[in-house]
Amino acid sequence: MNLDSLIHAEIDGEITPEQHAQLEAQLRSDWQARQRYLELVDQHARLLQQPAVNTGRLQSAAPKKSPPLRWWPSLTAAAAAVACTFIFWPKHPIETEATSNGVAMLSQTMDATFTGTAPRSGDTLKPGTIRLTQGLAQIEFFSGATALIEGAAEIEILSAWEARCLSGRVRVHVPPAAKGFLIHAPGMKLEDLGTEFALNVKDNTSAVHVFEGEVIAHTDAQTSASLKQGMSLSSLKTTAVSPQDFLSISELHSLVQKRDTQRFDQWQQWSLETRKDPRLIAYYTFKHWEDDRWDRLIKNFTEPRRPSRAGGAVGASWTQGRWQKKEALEFKRPGDRVRLNLDGTYHALTFACWVKVDSVDKKYNSLLLTDGYDNGEPHWQIYEDGSLMFSIMYRPAEAARSARHNQMYYSRPVFTADSLGRWHHLAVTYDNTSGTVSQYFDGQEVGREISKLHQPARDIVFGPCEIGNWGLPTQGHQFPIRNLNGAIDEFAIYSAALNASEVRNLYDHGKPE
Amino acid sequence: MPDSPTSTETLVLLLTQHQEPLFRYIFSLVPREADARDILQETSLALYRKFAEYDPARPFLPWAYRFAYLQVQKHREKSARSPLLFSEDVMDLLASERTHIEPRLDERLRLLDACLQKLTAQDQELVTSRYALRQSVEEMMTRYALSRRTLFRNLELLRQRLHECVTRHLQSEGLA
Repeated sequence: MNLDSLIHAEIDGEITPEQHAQLEAQLRSDWQARQRYLELVDQHARLLQQPAVNTGRLQSAAPKKSPPLRWWPSLTAAAAAVACTFIFWPKHPIETEATSNGVAMLSQTMDATFTGTAPRSGDTLKPGTIRLTQGLAQIEFFSGATALIEGAAEIEILSAWEARCLSGRVRVHVPPAAKGFLIHAPGMKLEDLGTEFALNVKDNTSAVHVFEGEVIAHTDAQTSASLKQGMSLSSLKTTAVSPQDFLSISELHSLVQKRDTQRFDQWQQWSLETRKDPRLIAYYTFKHWEDDRWDRLIKNFTEPRRPSRAGGAVGASWTQGRWQKKEALEFKRPGDRVRLNLDGTYHALTFACWVKVDSVDKKYNSLLLTDGYDNGEPHWQIYEDGSLMFSIMYRPAEAARSARHNQMYYSRPVFTADSLGRWHHLAVTYDNTSGTVSQYFDGQEVGREISKLHQPARDIVFGPCEIGNWGLPTQGHQFPIRNLNGAIDEFAIYSAALNASEVRNLYDHGKPE
Repeated sequence: MPDSPTSTETLVLLLTQHQEPLFRYIFSLVPREADARDILQETSLALYRKFAEYDPARPFLPWAYRFAYLQVQKHREKSARSPLLFSEDVMDLLASERTHIEPRLDERLRLLDACLQKLTAQDQELVTSRYALRQSVEEMMTRYALSRRTLFRNLELLRQRLHECVTRHLQSEGLA
């Protein structure tokens, strides 16, 4: 057996004592053998720790087809029998790679209303028609071309390289990489050679104006005209274009910026009022204090002030929140967390937070959990399938430690490919009389349940707890990694179960746009 | 709420940050997963007991490796009769040389991820079965209708391909 085969037999645990002795002799005498061994073993150790072939539920890469014949060397009767058991073997379904048929994305909107299903900014757009009744929308095609559309307009997205303007005003920017981008309009077809131009379509006639670069305008099958900077063309003399009529991208950006500041100011005004709610146990707005030397203080903003309920950030770093002026704390690494210590016993609770989840990549992804899991302690997390999971522990004194006594509540899955990477409002309410747990996603109820294990009037307590991670491990124990992968920019904890319209109100006042 | 983390908290953070390299270090000396995990646990415990002696001004890993090495030796003494453990002199050589080439090993792992994505669908499935789903040999033999020998041969070839892919990338970056 050669050196490599010996090494592989060693790490697969298939090595015989004789072969092991052989390997050891080679390692003892030959530096290059040791180097080769160290490399192969290190690679294997890494694979054991985290195979980077995605296996998560949300993003998975695996074959789309069933295993081809290569894996069935000889289809003898015995092998065929094995093959049949394989077919009826659903334990680990072969996961297929997530796919999308999107060709563009809606990158920005400004006071936009759509007819039909309304896309939100950040959405991936599939081929199809977008009807903007008013406002502005910026579409970024995957080819690199960008279109700024002013309502009312009707645009049909054909592919990453092609679109049709049925009506309305569009300004298109095509970087060199997207050269050849095509726009169809009544009476003409515009082939963009890397440029910026505007198109106005009204009553089935078109007019085009080139701001920069060059556009080839095909007016019918035979004729085409080259339009250069400053030139205009109309399919009918009645439709004119004047460049000033078109909004520029920079104007859109400044409008968006203005709205961003406006939304932030509105939220801040509301936040100053809402923090006086006497039902608040703690209210964290994740404001970064420049004068905090340790840079780790997460102040509690309830009025009146309760400084003892301030949190301490561990690891987590500052990042941008829902708006440019709003800060947030980002949780990425297994150690990242905010430590809290909340005193008191309660009869009801509401947790409400604004969170941007980047990935649901662990079995449990922490929102807020108490350190241990003693009686009356709540845990709030995102489960691996993207659902919200709330649980509270009540273990009868005489019960075996192994039995399950925590009341568990799951919402329907809310974190899917298109809700990741954006800001969302999450809330859960619980009261110990009715035992009802309601969960909310962006102000909408996504789960309501009473646990079979519920018994009225059992207290709720917190004590040491943390946001974004779970608990300090006890001495010498391994601990599960449950850190959130995302950012949080507001977290409120109430001593009452807010009703549905109150939760809706929290969402409405805090939503980013 | 104290402003600065307690020493336990600090250790927890250091351990979570460095768990992976520690495991890799131990595994290079004792290339059997279950044993390596046991030794990692023992090492964490030893680090906890001696954490007062840690000088935060110095890098954590070299300090932790010393404890890991001691725990590996303890493990070796406990199971001295096993014919499948390396002798102390070979372990010494491996441990000290590994420290020298560690930056390059880290570099290799960085490239490994890209190489994994380039595997054929069948190979990716094999990686998933073996490493992510942790299927047993028997399960995998059934699943792929392969003999034990062929299965291990395929795993060997797969890891060889990955190793070659990484080496190629290193060379093209001029780092080999």
